[in-house]
Amino acid sequence: MSGIRAWGIDVGSSTTKIVGVDTEGVLHWDVLEDSEPRAEEQVERLLQRAAEVGDAQARPLVATGYGRKLVRQADRVVTEITCHARGVYRALGHGGTLVDVGGQDSKVIGLGPDGEVLDFAMNDKCAAGTGRFLENTSRRLGVDLEHLGEVALSAGDEATLSSTCTVFAESEIVSLLAHGVAVEPILKGLHRALVERLVAMIRTVGLRPPLMLSGGVARNPAIARLLEAETGQRVIVPPHPQLMGAYGAALVALEKAGEPSGPV
Amino acid sequence: MILDGLPSIPRRLDVARAHHERGGLVAAVLPIHYPRALLRAFGILPIEVWGPPNIDATRAASHLQPYVCSIVRNTLAFLESGGLQVADLLIVPHACDSLQGLGSVLLDFVHPRQPVLPLYLPRTQGAEAAVFLAEELRALHRRLVEVARRAPLEADLLQSILDEEAADALLRRLFERRLTLPLTTFDFYRLVRAREFLPLSAFVELAQAMLVLPPAERRPHTPILLSGIVPEPMEILRAVDELGASVVADDLACCGRRLYPEGMSREPFARMAESLLGAPPDPTRGSPIQDRLDHLIGLAQTTGARGVVFHDVKFCEPELFDLPSLRSGLRDAGLPSIAVEVDLNDPPSHQARTRLEAFLEMIA
Amino acid sequence: MTALDVLRVYASSRLIGPAALRVQRWGNEWRARAGSGWASDYLAPPLRVAARGKEMVARHWLEGRYANRNRKVAWVTSGAPVELLHALGFFTVYPENHGAICGAARVAVDLSCEAENAGYSRDLCSYARTDLGSLFSGRTPVGRLPKPDLLFACTNICQTVLFWYRVLAHHLRVPLVLIDTPFIYFETAPEHAVEYVRRQLEASIPSVERVAGRSLDTGRLKETGRLSREASQLWMEIMERNDGRPAPISVVDQFTLMAPVVEMRGEPATVNFYAAMLKEVDGRIAAGVSAVQHEKHRLLWDNLPIWYRLRDVAEMLGAEGAALVASTYTNAWGELADLIDPDQPFESMARTYLYPILNRGAGHKLATMRRMIEQYSIDGVLLHSDRSCKPYSIGQLDQRDRLARESSVPALLLEADHNDSRCYAEGQIANRVAAFIETLER
Repeated sequence: MSGIRAWGIDVGSSTTKIVGVDTEGVLHWDVLEDSEPRAEEQVERLLQRAAEVGDAQARPLVATGYGRKLVRQADRVVTEITCHARGVYRALGHGGTLVDVGGQDSKVIGLGPDGEVLDFAMNDKCAAGTGRFLENTSRRLGVDLEHLGEVALSAGDEATLSSTCTVFAESEIVSLLAHGVAVEPILKGLHRALVERLVAMIRTVGLRPPLMLSGGVARNPAIARLLEAETGQRVIVPPHPQLMGAYGAALVALEKAGEPSGPV
Repeated sequence: MILDGLPSIPRRLDVARAHHERGGLVAAVLPIHYPRALLRAFGILPIEVWGPPNIDATRAASHLQPYVCSIVRNTLAFLESGGLQVADLLIVPHACDSLQGLGSVLLDFVHPRQPVLPLYLPRTQGAEAAVFLAEELRALHRRLVEVARRAPLEADLLQSILDEEAADALLRRLFERRLTLPLTTFDFYRLVRAREFLPLSAFVELAQAMLVLPPAERRPHTPILLSGIVPEPMEILRAVDELGASVVADDLACCGRRLYPEGMSREPFARMAESLLGAPPDPTRGSPIQDRLDHLIGLAQTTGARGVVFHDVKFCEPELFDLPSLRSGLRDAGLPSIAVEVDLNDPPSHQARTRLEAFLEMIA
Repeated sequence: MTALDVLRVYASSRLIGPAALRVQRWGNEWRARAGSGWASDYLAPPLRVAARGKEMVARHWLEGRYANRNRKVAWVTSGAPVELLHALGFFTVYPENHGAICGAARVAVDLSCEAENAGYSRDLCSYARTDLGSLFSGRTPVGRLPKPDLLFACTNICQTVLFWYRVLAHHLRVPLVLIDTPFIYFETAPEHAVEYVRRQLEASIPSVERVAGRSLDTGRLKETGRLSREASQLWMEIMERNDGRPAPISVVDQFTLMAPVVEMRGEPATVNFYAAMLKEVDGRIAAGVSAVQHEKHRLLWDNLPIWYRLRDVAEMLGAEGAALVASTYTNAWGELADLIDPDQPFESMARTYLYPILNRGAGHKLATMRRMIEQYSIDGVLLHSDRSCKPYSIGQLDQRDRLARESSVPALLLEADHNDSRCYAEGQIANRVAAFIETLER
């Protein structure tokens, strides 16, 4: 499967993604795995697979994500902000406000009409605005991650959570369950709490429509729905929302290889 | 670390000890503005305390709540653990409510061995401010006479002021010429910050040596303007260098905001007051926001800075109140900015670096 | 403004509005007399005069709605020498007081979020965040806040007001007059500081006259000074009535009724109000009515109130027979009354406005607390460690230790915020207070 001209790798704290694009900047190949503790070994292994698929060494390669500096093989290292912006702009073709919610961090990026980064905000100190928040709390409720969103959306009522911190939220949930509140309303309240954090970040960056959603948590239908409700804006989720960082990195690598990264 | 062609920079503690050996007194001076010339006229060596960063600040917890900034908390912890033992007196300028509280807590509760001398800087910009400050400096002078048990002649005080002004003029030249100097951002600041503790002649020697360094062939870099109180932890400057950027101008309380102009009066106290009040805009001296904005935009235009990094210490009211207006005004003038908040005891942070990196990518 | 507009404004602000408020007051007073609507096992009902105080404040905000049309408006800090502005006929608004109203009405957090979304750090004073949030969103529980023609700030309460008012000046593009009062670290203010303040006051006259559109009438200034002093002296007398057992009123009553002496000082109605309040307090003493049933413990409150939990805190304490009988905060508006010399307005204003407790060192604050402990027979001290108020809060840790060690008076630190309920941890506060009361019982 040659035809792959450039590679991007996103070494995140929860998942690691690698992507190959062709000369037109079209996505041709990708792998997504849970991030392993020995990141360098995992990267080595993934690059081996890439080399097999591409018929040659996986170059040029741009690395992004939390562990980007560990990728010695990268030609260049670029932040997730720039890469996500690049990937989403290419995937959707317009500017706006990108909300990326990962396992352990979330960010909001304001994109101009030509895909340029205008402003950004990162939440990487507090779990309450990340996928981790939902993971931890869903465990408490005995609902598996895959069905989290559906279950939340099925609720008629909604429990309001007052805790601003994940740790306190867990004890609040225990208390609500003890008082006989059902799982569905609590789950909906949790999703609402996460979305409220995201909305606060969106407001600091400034909302430029349309709203776009990426990251692992984008696959959760409740997040998109509640975000629409809170902002009154349509929320667009690109195809392969979890790959946007790696895809953007590959597009940067493509540029480096001297090819234009696709139609502007 | 010794750089080629430059005298080595000693540690603050060693400088203090050397000064004691020469028979002089050492004053530990807290942020921000104070009359260096006045202290030197008494043979007192001012050594500034900006934190210091990266210490165990738990000893401050018995006096100061957690919502007091880390500059102030670290200073108290440092004092309590003996870090300021070498000082013979403590000068506490009034720059904000937290320093006000620290001064008061030291005077009323902690009772350090050293005399504690507070100094109020006026927050108005009119003629009354200059009159008040001159009197406040005279009051400080009287306290210094008690502590040092001597009084300098007026002629010696005036000479001390002129010498200090000459040193400040050298400092200003260093700032203006920084891009031609063959120094990384980190080294530039490490050297100019020696102004905070070196004896005057040693600083003048250093500054002159820096000014005759062979000019460097400047590699392409992303020019930024750095604003805040103090560039600590200094890792931020290393990160700037490593990411291919350069601080072309600064609006830092400990650096760019203390480029004091010459005074005009021949009367020493009036002259010192004029000089202090003539410094660039500073919220801790009550400067209006528009003045700060005009100053920042002017600096960016003359130096070609493409963006502004606000590097603030968490809980810093003077900085945090102005921030939204400044960022919005800068945006209107075509200058993007980011704001990071740090604690002086933060270990080097991946997050902070990523933010800076992303910003530099954005403005490159 | 057309003649119809003038008529409408007059009708609303001078006839219909005040009449409606008066009717409301009569209703409240009747209810108070009948004892209905008050449900507490431990706390005395609010003073009858509270209804009148409420009416006064409401009337002030009602006038505020229309003030921009016929008066010059000044936004003023709580410690500022407001007598100058009253003498020039300004309608005065206190953003801090407005903030407290928002806190008590439980809308402060919502307004603060507006400010936070605009980039203002949550670590800034909650009064400022509430005020800026109200400015940006246009929302306020008082109906409509009149825009200022002048901003008037004095740094004797904190430096925060300086930064806050600079932001207001930048946004609203109106002149800011600043009276900078150097902090007093020692026993007295140095003469050059007094001189500095006096000169600033004098230098401010042309600017404030220009905005007011009239010249300062020194006679009116003296009269305002006289009325200010009288109101402050009455306020002091009211507070001092609490030095006997049992205390007739609670510090919570003082918090809710301090608005006139803070923001309507210098007006005749304020003097009348506090004269009436004093009379009612004396009546309570004569009738043996106490603020807390079975008063067992007498407490001193330090720092700002927790505006959004006044009643809850009073109930929590009252249930254990603990009465809040004195506070360094309310005391601040009475203790300097004697410094006001109406015949030497500028000289005495310079001194009076240098000496508020917040412009004094932590040692002086401790000495004040000790004096009040003596005067009011205090058993315990509650130190509200207000996250938003560094000038008040820094020093409390040492004050607490010294009170316990040197004066054998137990003191409890309560970490919260005067206006931001997100900083109030219900469970923690309740636990600490309960444990503290147990200490007192031993």
